[in-house]
Amino acid sequence: MWNGGCLSEIPIINDVLTEVQRVWDTQLLSLRTLEHLYMFTIALFVSILIGIAVGVLIYRSPKLADPVLNGLNVVETIPDVALLVLLLPIFGIGAGPTVAASILYSILPITRNTYTGLANVPREYVEIAEALGLNPGEVLMRVRFPLALPLIAGGIRIAVVFTMGVVTLGGLIAAGGLGAALQNGIQLYDMGTILVTGAWVGLLAVILDGGAGVIENRLKVRYGTWS
Amino acid sequence: MKFKKLFNRIESIKLESVTKSYGDRFAVRDLDLEVRGGELMILIGRSGSGKTTTLRMINRLIEPDSGRVSINGANVEDFDPVRLRRSIGYVIQNIGLLPHLNVSGNIGLILKLEGWDQAKIRERVSELLNFVSLPPKSFMDRYPHQLSGGQQQRIGLARALAMDPPLLLMDEPFGALDPLLRTQLQDEFCKIKKELGKTIVFVTHDINEAFKLGDRVAIMDNASLVQVGTPEELIFEPSNELVSEIVDSKRKYRHMEALKVRDMMQSLDSGYFLEGNMPAEIALRKMVDAGLEVAFVFKESGTVGKIPLNEVLKAGNTGKSLNDISKSLLVFPADASLFEALTQLKEEGESMALVLGGEMPVGLLFSDRVLQGLV
Repeated sequence: MWNGGCLSEIPIINDVLTEVQRVWDTQLLSLRTLEHLYMFTIALFVSILIGIAVGVLIYRSPKLADPVLNGLNVVETIPDVALLVLLLPIFGIGAGPTVAASILYSILPITRNTYTGLANVPREYVEIAEALGLNPGEVLMRVRFPLALPLIAGGIRIAVVFTMGVVTLGGLIAAGGLGAALQNGIQLYDMGTILVTGAWVGLLAVILDGGAGVIENRLKVRYGTWS
Repeated sequence: MKFKKLFNRIESIKLESVTKSYGDRFAVRDLDLEVRGGELMILIGRSGSGKTTTLRMINRLIEPDSGRVSINGANVEDFDPVRLRRSIGYVIQNIGLLPHLNVSGNIGLILKLEGWDQAKIRERVSELLNFVSLPPKSFMDRYPHQLSGGQQQRIGLARALAMDPPLLLMDEPFGALDPLLRTQLQDEFCKIKKELGKTIVFVTHDINEAFKLGDRVAIMDNASLVQVGTPEELIFEPSNELVSEIVDSKRKYRHMEALKVRDMMQSLDSGYFLEGNMPAEIALRKMVDAGLEVAFVFKESGTVGKIPLNEVLKAGNTGKSLNDISKSLLVFPADASLFEALTQLKEEGESMALVLGGEMPVGLLFSDRVLQGLV
């Protein structure tokens, strides 16, 4: 039988577990993780709201599409550290600029995918909806939007990874979260802290991305247009 | 706001010198056509002849460049397009069903937008599914990709009928179906057409379908109307070469004397045969699963009986066996004269017969397929 007792009898694993335990306790990783997920959730939620709203807006006013997408692309090209620093005068230090930077980064993939998804719904479905007597708003909400959901979910999945990265970087400007623990590790040159926290952040990112992937695939099955 | 239909019955639909062009190419050119209330008007022509464009100008999916389209004397441009389209049923070939909605979602879409409550929508959807011979219980919650082509087509028709519109526009509704299914659906549609009592404008490129279903047929070519009339008028008084070419029966029937039934039959799969003592409810499941619209049984008398799906449905759980509900069916030996077989089919008002090679059924003979095969 596999159990913790068995594992901890192997010396190297025992060492690793002890180290993880030490870092977890001294760096308050439970608290840091909560802070981290708190910033992540707020940032992602707001990005989704703004991203989809802007996507729908530029779909309905195609003249705006190019300038808006180009503008967001410019934001995307600013290195994330530079963006954080640029936001300092506006938001001060801490969680504010971190969340703001995450949002600015994450809007583009969500907006772009929303716009592309709405615009590329197969013509025949839109035509039949119009022929049945749906008005333009109803075509958007009842046909285009549901059929665009898999692509929108794909955009959100990219945003999940972006947000995770920027929130971690927030440790640089005293935002708390797991980035703070990483900073501590770097300042003290404590390799154990760096490795354990780094691995934990990586694992969290993989789990969140995997969860988003599962949702994306479900939506593809439900709303995919190939069938 | 509760929806009021723009019209409860159709007196007439008039297209007057209607023209539509895309760039320097005319899609429809100076077209005059009147559809009378209660008739089924066929628009037929090659692809690109303007038939679909004409159809779509009636419900304003396409707006003419010039000319006037009117329903009961009122210019359609004076109607709100959304209200106009909700007053007109629309059926298209192939992918008419929205993939993200199940059967009742598709059929009830407009009802929902009109603010009907859930219970009423469910009731109406059941009623419509029964009308198109699909058991509501097993079909309501299915998604389009879980349906066969014929079933999708029936749902498409049910959806078009949801608001009980007095006018139906149909754009090659049976175009993508295999011959057996198409014939069966055409036969059924012929019957429910009378029950519906609706005005129907129907686009097809199949002259046999046109003659089978249409009260009048409008032949279009090159964006213009060539001739409009009953099938008989078109056959006996074709206005030009093109019309006589399309409908000329002499040429079609020319070689028929020499042909045997076997030369023009469709081969038959053993999957179409069911046990005569099978209860109707079991047969129903089998037929629905296999997507069959019609099946056959061997009767004790040694003859073969036909079992249309709608009869099986009607029998339901009454405990009747297939023997009880089977219909008689014309049977021809494979080496019978094709001409005589067709004459007999026409006299009996049937469109299909079973072909026997010796004692064994080997194929099916469809009257309209034969005509097409000979052209």
